[in-house]
Amino acid sequence: MKTPQDELNSALSEIFERAGYRRYKMSKFEEYDLYARHKDFLISENVLTFTDLDGKLMALKPDVTLSIVKNSDGQQLRKVYYRENVYRAEKGSLGFREISQAGLECIGAVDEYSVCEVLSLAAKSLSAIGPRCELAVSHLGILCGLLSGAGLSSPAVGEAVGLFGDKNRDGLAALLEREGADREAAERVIGLSELEENAADAPKKLTALLRGFVADEMLDRFCNTCRFLGKEFGERVRVDFSVVGDLGYYSGIIFKGFIDGIPASVLSGGQYDGLMKKLNRHSRAIGFAIYLDLLEPILEIGEDFDADALLVYSQTDSAEAIYEAAKKLSEGGRSVAVLPKIPEDGRFREIFRLDRKGGVILERND
Amino acid sequence: MKEMINVALPKGRLGDRVYEMFAKAGYRCEELENPGRRLTFENPEVGIRYFWVKPSDVAIYVEKGAADIGVAGKDILLEYRPDVYELLDTGLGKCRMAVAAPKSFRDDPRKTLRVATKFPSVAKGHYSSAGREIEIIKLNGSIELAPILGLSDVIVDIVETGSTLRQNNLEVVETLFEISARLIANKSSYRFKGGSINLIKSGLNAAKGEIR
Repeated sequence: MKTPQDELNSALSEIFERAGYRRYKMSKFEEYDLYARHKDFLISENVLTFTDLDGKLMALKPDVTLSIVKNSDGQQLRKVYYRENVYRAEKGSLGFREISQAGLECIGAVDEYSVCEVLSLAAKSLSAIGPRCELAVSHLGILCGLLSGAGLSSPAVGEAVGLFGDKNRDGLAALLEREGADREAAERVIGLSELEENAADAPKKLTALLRGFVADEMLDRFCNTCRFLGKEFGERVRVDFSVVGDLGYYSGIIFKGFIDGIPASVLSGGQYDGLMKKLNRHSRAIGFAIYLDLLEPILEIGEDFDADALLVYSQTDSAEAIYEAAKKLSEGGRSVAVLPKIPEDGRFREIFRLDRKGGVILERND
Repeated sequence: MKEMINVALPKGRLGDRVYEMFAKAGYRCEELENPGRRLTFENPEVGIRYFWVKPSDVAIYVEKGAADIGVAGKDILLEYRPDVYELLDTGLGKCRMAVAAPKSFRDDPRKTLRVATKFPSVAKGHYSSAGREIEIIKLNGSIELAPILGLSDVIVDIVETGSTLRQNNLEVVETLFEISARLIANKSSYRFKGGSINLIKSGLNAAKGEIR
């Protein structure tokens, strides 16, 4: 019997495979050094480590992207998807957890089409998870360009990006004043922090707000991507510059996906050209991850039965008779539990007992 | 039916003033004003449901989505760093986070500084940025007692008027940051109830000047 999780996994695999992405299977372990060098890229700094038989310090993977990038030469465009378990201690938790994660990576000569393709696959994945969903999209290159242009120092740009992420308008206004940004530049920055627009309408507002203050080519490309997303996905994709990430790893487009009823973002992704540089790969990359463990509340099975049927036998019944009766009951796809007595905390749709002739008698029907 | 917004209010004097601000913004709730034994209070006409929680728990309720919005002190937000939006500085509960010590205290950089605090992350962050070796002594209350009894050299704590410090022969050595109560929102709730949440934010912003 397929669980809702199995069905979602199949649906996601189908979405990725139909776009030509190939499944990437990987080992559970990786040398710890890879994570030690790129801790800022990880969601959690806590990594589960052990010493391998040859003395190398190894880690149970806390992240998938780093391993895929490490094993890519970046020369040709590579499109892969994965479904793996990762191991990490989340913020505030008292122990490590095994976390199920799916996602995809597009590595190599990433162009405007590849970016649109990855964003569309993210939007389609969200729609497969839940009907009320939203993909929030932003662009770190545009944001940092505007902040630098407003006269903010490099540390202040980092601080301002954090305030954008918090939607902290009051904090942002205070920072701009402290940094001596002029009134017009400050209003432009505040205006961008308050922009929350569906993808189709965003280009008009972005152009009015930013033309001449960030690189034209970057703005035009982002607006083109927004128009494409607006046409394909309507209100489900919104432009919102509160979506931010680590500036050392991410550049360009960055995005997060939300599902109504789940308190945190369930999908996170973006262009991580900075990570490629740090790993000495002279190419670009974009990808996203879906945190499948967060989806449990909306994927719970509605009917709470241990099995469709319970077959109760006595010690005088022959093993062959019990086996044959269970086989007959399971015809037609019914799940059958076979036990010598009815468990106190068990729940079954129907309960059967073996009769003396090897047939079954319906004892109870829930 | 009107969309309901769940609001986590901080228990205590600050919470009373926060509710007063919500009421002035048009989100009055009679059930809350005459509480009885209920734990949640709602006014379906304006689409709001309130509940009181410990001030330090407000951010957890909001981050985990049990509340769509809440009001929490900046001290709590900086200590626990919850993944929430910080939509508005209400201007209520103004005070500051400070390092305080006995008036006779002179910092000896050759020794590890013993710091008593309710805010270990804030204290650790402050001293590590200065490269100072410290020992954190995590306490849950009566922080001022620690340097008096020799448990710590200094304290990192909230200072409102400074009268408690003065009465105990302590003084502020350094102010770390200003504190006030902030309107926070769950990031997912904001996506799907953003219209109602922004209406509340605007109402509270307009009511800011009316609460003393």
